[in-house]
Amino acid sequence: MRAKRSIPFSTRVVLAGLAAWILVAPARANAQAGPPSGHEDAAFDFMNLLSHNGLHDIDHETWNLYGQLTYISSWKRPFGAPYTNTNVNANVSAGTYSLLPTAERSFTGTFSLFFGLRLWRGGEAYFVPELIAERPLSGLHGIGGAIQNFELQKTGSATPQLYRARLFLRQTVGLGGEHVVKTSDPLQLGTVVDSRRLVLTAGNFTILDVFDRNSVTGDPRQTFLNMAFMTHAAYDFTSDARGYSWGGTAELYWDEWALRYGRITPPQNPNQLATDFRLWEHYGDQMELEHDHSLFGRPGAVRLLGYRNHVVTGRFDEAIAAFEANPAENAAACPGIDYGSKNSSAPDLCWVRRPNVKLGIGINLEQYLAKDVGVFLRAMYSDGKTEVDAYNPADRSLSLGAVAKGSLWQRPFDVAGVGFGMSWISAIHAKYLAMGGVDGFIGDGYLRQAAEGVVDGFYSVNLLKAVWLTGDYQFLWNPGFNADRGPVHMFGARIHAEF
Amino acid sequence: MPSSSWHRASTVLAMLWVAILSPSRAQAQQQAQGFAVERFYPSAAGAGWFVMDALDMQGDLGGAMALTLGYARNPLRVADGSQKLSVVSDEASADFGFAVTYRRFRLSLNMDMPLAITGDSGTVGSYVFAHPSVNPGANPDTLSDYRVGFDARILGQPGGSFRLGASAQLVIPNGHRTDYDTDDTFRSMVRALFAGDVGHFAYAGQLGLHIRPLDDSSTPGSPRGSELLFGAAGGAKLPVGRGADWALVVGPEVFGATAFRSFFAADDTALEGLLSGRLEGTRVNRAQLRFKLGVGAGIDQHFGAPEWRIVLGIEMFNRNQRPTLLGSQVDVTNP
Repeated sequence: MRAKRSIPFSTRVVLAGLAAWILVAPARANAQAGPPSGHEDAAFDFMNLLSHNGLHDIDHETWNLYGQLTYISSWKRPFGAPYTNTNVNANVSAGTYSLLPTAERSFTGTFSLFFGLRLWRGGEAYFVPELIAERPLSGLHGIGGAIQNFELQKTGSATPQLYRARLFLRQTVGLGGEHVVKTSDPLQLGTVVDSRRLVLTAGNFTILDVFDRNSVTGDPRQTFLNMAFMTHAAYDFTSDARGYSWGGTAELYWDEWALRYGRITPPQNPNQLATDFRLWEHYGDQMELEHDHSLFGRPGAVRLLGYRNHVVTGRFDEAIAAFEANPAENAAACPGIDYGSKNSSAPDLCWVRRPNVKLGIGINLEQYLAKDVGVFLRAMYSDGKTEVDAYNPADRSLSLGAVAKGSLWQRPFDVAGVGFGMSWISAIHAKYLAMGGVDGFIGDGYLRQAAEGVVDGFYSVNLLKAVWLTGDYQFLWNPGFNADRGPVHMFGARIHAEF
Repeated sequence: MPSSSWHRASTVLAMLWVAILSPSRAQAQQQAQGFAVERFYPSAAGAGWFVMDALDMQGDLGGAMALTLGYARNPLRVADGSQKLSVVSDEASADFGFAVTYRRFRLSLNMDMPLAITGDSGTVGSYVFAHPSVNPGANPDTLSDYRVGFDARILGQPGGSFRLGASAQLVIPNGHRTDYDTDDTFRSMVRALFAGDVGHFAYAGQLGLHIRPLDDSSTPGSPRGSELLFGAAGGAKLPVGRGADWALVVGPEVFGATAFRSFFAADDTALEGLLSGRLEGTRVNRAQLRFKLGVGAGIDQHFGAPEWRIVLGIEMFNRNQRPTLLGSQVDVTNP
């Protein structure tokens, strides 16, 4: 529909954007392989181009289309390690389980299109095809909660792969209150909704589209490269090996409060692409309570998140007990799905996989200290009894930091940030690894237990209002929760374009 | 007894014969590699017919989105004498189509999402066929080959009695040959399109070249390199509703492909017929919907032409008649 121009368009969009920033900034999407953050009026993109030419009503959209292109290159310097890959039998080509101490280069390239379509009053459909090519460091092994590039997937390859990242329906039921402007963005049609509303989502998406959002860390494609800052490292949300799930969520927004519940599919076996659709039997449940506030006139938010997975996994204590009772039940003799370890003197989770429960609870804080300067903190505690099902092996995690946009130094589209992340594993998890066990991404063969930590600093230079060039440095210590290895210096570069 | 001795001797000889021959037969057997079996290529979003193109792009910048759901029964049955094998027995897919139009031009993207592809494994002749295995559990996010197309109307006007156009498509590989959803090579299609509306009769057709680098010609039931594409459609176009805000178009679409290496030979030609009906909005300058239903069967049932097929489609499109980006007015009678 053609935009009406009763007031200047740019003024209207700036006002709408300001209103949206104040009212819904805490609810911006933030996802693994997530959408770009909100497009400002001054930014270049296809929908703004149409709108500026009177060919599209960007405030009350029936459809929209956005896209993004991101290439990230990471380089790891050599580091010290007294042992590496002791789980690998030299006679068997079984890959690597440690972060290799040699210099390595890794990359990811992604291209995404975000289609949105209004179906009926309050009903929206979204479809996101995505292309990825990647080469991880050390086969994506050896790092626990602080993988250096959030885009990396467990099934990726250097050959580009196209897949359907999202396909879902969203229904918004207005319940009154104030009017809230939702600006046109990826995965969001431009519209006005009630501040009190029920939002139902069903289909294929990443749970991070809905839960554990944080407007300060925002879109990971524009901020931190390290995965420790995308969500709680200890949030083992059920998903396929790419980070996407099927299921449904319900969100109740009541002015400054929001309550969310979601049930989503797990993989058929831990860390696999194949999905278990028996949601009544195996599932990941999560619930989140959010309160948006204003502190000294600046917006902030507090979120409490709890999750409960009922999925097929192995318990560390049972794997150890099985091995101690019968050494024939070792990692090299696994009868089914395993991580390929050839260590015949180590326990393995493959012997004890059955439906298990995993629990976790976390807090997520964000607070703006000045215009375009915000701080964040996430902390989560998971029970640490079972193996990683879908995300990463951390059992407890903490991340905090600050992100600033360049309006302070007259470059409003530049972004800079520094973050600190720590993650831990449980005592039984450590014992299992120290005995030579492998848990998804990690398993050096031996372990001197320690917290894994990372400091990540980045600066993104905006070019042409739609392209960002980022330089990034990460200092990682105790990789794989192992005090015997590291520290590691990693350097990264990213080019990111939105249209 | 002599007969018993003869029986034992003949049994031993037979076993030796089998033992001697079996390895050589096993060595002679080859594994069929698979290919993109589907020859039903949904038209660009907003193009009207299921396969043909109504060539009615008009006005200023416009667009269309389409979802086509389809099921085909036995799209690939391989036979060699009395041996028959349904290598692909069931195929269900969803095709997402997107198009942007500007005056007489269209840029389109079609992405096919296989929902399920199953079949039987077995040996036919000297080839071993492994059944495809695509299901939502094992392949929760699969997309197969996708097509980027550019179409242009060269002659005629929307609603006119004759329109002539040209189309070029690039097929970008994605998927696995073993699942019969891709050739795993780039392909392209170049087609001449025609369409028209004469009173209450609408028609469309195509003749084109499908450039396929892959040639599995020695494998039974497999296509042989590049193909000629052909097809035609026609049907009654009836106004529906007050002010004729809707139109119902009912008629057959017949389409097929034949390999140039074996031009219109019985084993290398696929021909399919589809009886289709569609209900579409006719208003301009606003979003319109189009609902489509088609039921058909393979007339010459080879690679891709199934035993029977059912397809459902829904489209949202617009026929813009608005100021252009440069501010001038679009004259739909002379676009």
